[in-house]
Amino acid sequence: MKRNMRGWLIWIPMIGALAIAPQVLGAFEITIVLGMAIFALFSISLNLLLSFAGLLSFGHAMFFAAGAYGTVFALEYIQGVPLLPAVLIGALSAAFLALALSPLLVRASGHTFAMLTMAFSQIMYAIVMKYSTITGGNDGISGFPIPALGIPGIGDIDMTMERNFYYAAITILGISAWVMWFFTRTPFGSIMISMRDNPERVAYLGFNVSISKAVVLVVSAWFAGVAGSVYALFQNMVSVDGVLGPMSSFTPLINCFIGGLGTFIGPVFGTGIGTMLTELMSAHPEQAQLVFSFVLILLVLFLPGGVMTLYWKVAAKWMVLQNRIQSAFLKGNHG
Amino acid sequence: MDSMTIMMITQGIHGLAYGMLLFLVASGFTLIFGMMGILNIAHASFFMLAAYVGFQVIQWSGSFWLALIVAPIVITVVGIVMERVMLRRLRKFKLGKAAVLFELMLTVGVMVCIEEAVKNLWGTDPQIVNVPALLGGLLRYQGMQYPIYRMFIIVLSCAILLLLGLVLYKTRLGNFVRAAVQDAEMTGALGVNVPLVFSFVFGLGTWLAGVAGVAAAPMLTVFPGLANQMMLDSFIVVALGGFGSLLGAFVISMLLGELTAFGIQFLPGYSTIILFGFMVLVLTFRPLGLFGERE
Repeated sequence: MKRNMRGWLIWIPMIGALAIAPQVLGAFEITIVLGMAIFALFSISLNLLLSFAGLLSFGHAMFFAAGAYGTVFALEYIQGVPLLPAVLIGALSAAFLALALSPLLVRASGHTFAMLTMAFSQIMYAIVMKYSTITGGNDGISGFPIPALGIPGIGDIDMTMERNFYYAAITILGISAWVMWFFTRTPFGSIMISMRDNPERVAYLGFNVSISKAVVLVVSAWFAGVAGSVYALFQNMVSVDGVLGPMSSFTPLINCFIGGLGTFIGPVFGTGIGTMLTELMSAHPEQAQLVFSFVLILLVLFLPGGVMTLYWKVAAKWMVLQNRIQSAFLKGNHG
Repeated sequence: MDSMTIMMITQGIHGLAYGMLLFLVASGFTLIFGMMGILNIAHASFFMLAAYVGFQVIQWSGSFWLALIVAPIVITVVGIVMERVMLRRLRKFKLGKAAVLFELMLTVGVMVCIEEAVKNLWGTDPQIVNVPALLGGLLRYQGMQYPIYRMFIIVLSCAILLLLGLVLYKTRLGNFVRAAVQDAEMTGALGVNVPLVFSFVFGLGTWLAGVAGVAAAPMLTVFPGLANQMMLDSFIVVALGGFGSLLGAFVISMLLGELTAFGIQFLPGYSTIILFGFMVLVLTFRPLGLFGERE
């Protein structure tokens, strides 16, 4: 019960801050917040594989890209498709991609998994470039229509208005993040963690390791697809270098490591720190990535648990301090 | 000779030159992985950094030969510093299973760092390195003509290959290295200073990448994306050839060089898909690679 309370203590202020953001911030800051939220969801979905299943993926961008292209194709080729089904098609295409690749991926772990996912994302890059008449290749597809969000009983909400889009997108992203958080707390989530630590033992207990791994993979891909789909809507364009470029798989990985492995909320902090760094360096954009990589190297070397360990250290110190103050008061009362 | 044969032979030698360069990079990559279990994502970045350092030395001194000697040494120093200061520190944390993730991420960090540093120092425009005067011009034989410089790359690589073979198979140090590739822990128990051998192999690997980088500079032009293609190709070589297998790396490098050369001619756009598809099949059904023996 207490654990749940602490979980909500993180969620409620975040929801509150995101809800009032458009009232407080200007249009430019809102786009930064929304971009950050999209990449936070992408990083969380990657972290599901990384921290909870122990699998490092060098090609997670392919699921992000599948989501983005799925939604864009739906909007381009299906007449009058509503917004939510379009996002759903994006997420489904990412999940289907993961399902199709899972027979090959579940057998691998460690280096092999990293190289396999990298190979798959390279194949996808080559395919997207090869069929550039459909996918737009380097130029991408842009200017597709963004339909209004129809809610029964309320009516259609115009998504071309920035504030409306912000609320819709944040709601989709927030619900997705919450579902993933819930997923890690289910009994299946516990199996996932024990699979990471000792797959032989989990198999011995009677669970099917391969199928469970495939489920984790599909769930992770689904939410990466949601992030990609919202990203495509947000940018109103999708291009191969935007969603499948050399850094698009590495950036969320770096975010996870900056935030801290082994925690659910770490990647959100990592993405926040990454975005803040980029914005602080906006006067010198060419050095931003350099600083970013320095931060990563220093963190891995000196604080392998990421910034979350810093929080724990401060929290532990605070507990000690509290105890001291309390005992000092108790002494005072007695004396 | 008719033009078709000439084209075939020219492409064949093109492929040989690229395959040789690829082998120089991939052999260090596979040795480091086989021995230390570290997949050094930044390995191809050392190749690119060497090309830039070589370019700079040529700018200052005007001598290609000086660059061919100095730049690989600079790269070796950078590599050994990376191994001593970073990777060794990471080993002290005793991270258990998660160590693989942290090592991979550290090398990713170094890769990004080198790429961005290069962009900041030399800009994003391609830099052209001239072929040294001695090796300029074309080789003519029975109506065929071929740039001498590419021939030089093949000869240089063969010489280094021979040297590498001699060091690894004929010296005591080479015995230690091969023993440590087989079983580092057991080698250490027999009284070999394994950490020192690790540093030596890491230095050797980066030196090989450095030589390849300087040699490739006049052929491929120097630009910040130089590392990407090399990284992906050396990944394929190591995965197909088997982790830690030099023979495998050699065979696959040659095949890949030829495939790249003829793929451009006959299957434009599909060669990447075929290669990575093949890599996927090998990784899934024979994770040790085609030539790998070790568990």
